[in-house]
Amino acid sequence: MSAARGTANYEYVTSRVRSRGASLFDADDYRKLVRMGPGEIARFMEETEYEAEMNALGSRFEGVDLIEYALNRNLAKHFDDLLNWADGALYDYVARYLRKFDAWNVKTAFRGIYSDADPSEIEDDLITAGELSETLLSRLVDAGSIEEAVDLLDGTLFADALDEAYELYEQESLLVPLENAVDRAYYADLMANLPSEPNRAEELYLQFLRAEIDFRNLRNALRISRSGADIDPVEFYIDGGRLFDAATLRQLASNPDELVARVRESVYGDELDATLDELAEADDLIAFEHALDAALLSYSDTLSNRYPLSVCPVLAYVLAKEREVDNVRAIARGREAGLDPEEIETELVIA
Amino acid sequence: MLATTLALFSSIVSFAPILQSSAPGITGSAGAAIAVGLAALGAGIAERGIGAAAVGAVAEDDDMFGRGLIFTVLPETLVILALVTIFVV
Repeated sequence: MSAARGTANYEYVTSRVRSRGASLFDADDYRKLVRMGPGEIARFMEETEYEAEMNALGSRFEGVDLIEYALNRNLAKHFDDLLNWADGALYDYVARYLRKFDAWNVKTAFRGIYSDADPSEIEDDLITAGELSETLLSRLVDAGSIEEAVDLLDGTLFADALDEAYELYEQESLLVPLENAVDRAYYADLMANLPSEPNRAEELYLQFLRAEIDFRNLRNALRISRSGADIDPVEFYIDGGRLFDAATLRQLASNPDELVARVRESVYGDELDATLDELAEADDLIAFEHALDAALLSYSDTLSNRYPLSVCPVLAYVLAKEREVDNVRAIARGREAGLDPEEIETELVIA
Repeated sequence: MLATTLALFSSIVSFAPILQSSAPGITGSAGAAIAVGLAALGAGIAERGIGAAAVGAVAEDDDMFGRGLIFTVLPETLVILALVTIFVV
């Protein structure tokens, strides 16, 4: 996978990525979209860069399904393009990062099998932007049991972690250990095999990933501390961030105020200050999570403006594109369910 | 042994006039040529990155062709300025 030759072509890839980033929906587009019905949204998307997907799928599907398939296909297309453009070290970073969709697909397959969903329904939710082949994915969703699915994943980067977690699954018959194992394997692979003294490019790649891991840990810790459930936060802890280690996370999760104070002092303080104030006022965890996503987006933008010729703009684009797809899906589903525009707007993550 | 000493001596003799002559080792026009050459090299290195970025931008949006071209040849001014040295010396 990392056999790409040549030097990293940051100039070429970042300029293409920035151009594509500029054509993402902005706040105005979202304001229009939340006031449309599913049919109107589909027509709106036909006039944007989703045109090709809408035309290709328009005869087979309609309404919200059409929108959803078009979104997923467009996402996969863009991320495949990233891999086509990138060379050398940049290719390696992007490929590692995009395995996020492998993790997503594996988790979706597990959940589908666990809940006895129809294979074709599971397949609809897969995003074919990762490394796992389509053959493997379709065998995965057709698997009769979790055990079969774990066996199928033999030889992938998830194999070792899943083998361990499968014993826990057998004891408790809960999916959580398996899902955590998938996430951990993904994040471990992201950081693996980097030299102990990283050069500038590797350092920026790490800086970006650390931010993402920190935000993830923070969200998990807040969820646990808010829900008041008796869960060990370390079970969900992902190694590699710079904000928490496992011990401090366990200690802070039981004390939300200290957790917030800790974040305020951190490097993300500037991005998160307003968000944290909001959290202190309202006890709305969902709003805070969206604000956290928005803060990660704006932090990734900061990084990509500060280091224009690095992997940061590319990863920032991946994040922003994902958010856009999530937003449009939320709008379409929300309108289908008859929610108010104001209600849907609170569900959107706009940087 | 004798042959090597002789060869050494003869090479010193043949270099001696150059080392002792008051004319500079690099003449004025040669210096100007080196200046232009280095400037062109620098411009080439600068254009490598800009050109790659410009091609990327044009691939996404054809309207960027003109702007991309302008930015790509901007370092070329280095070479044009360096040409002045030819006329100065």
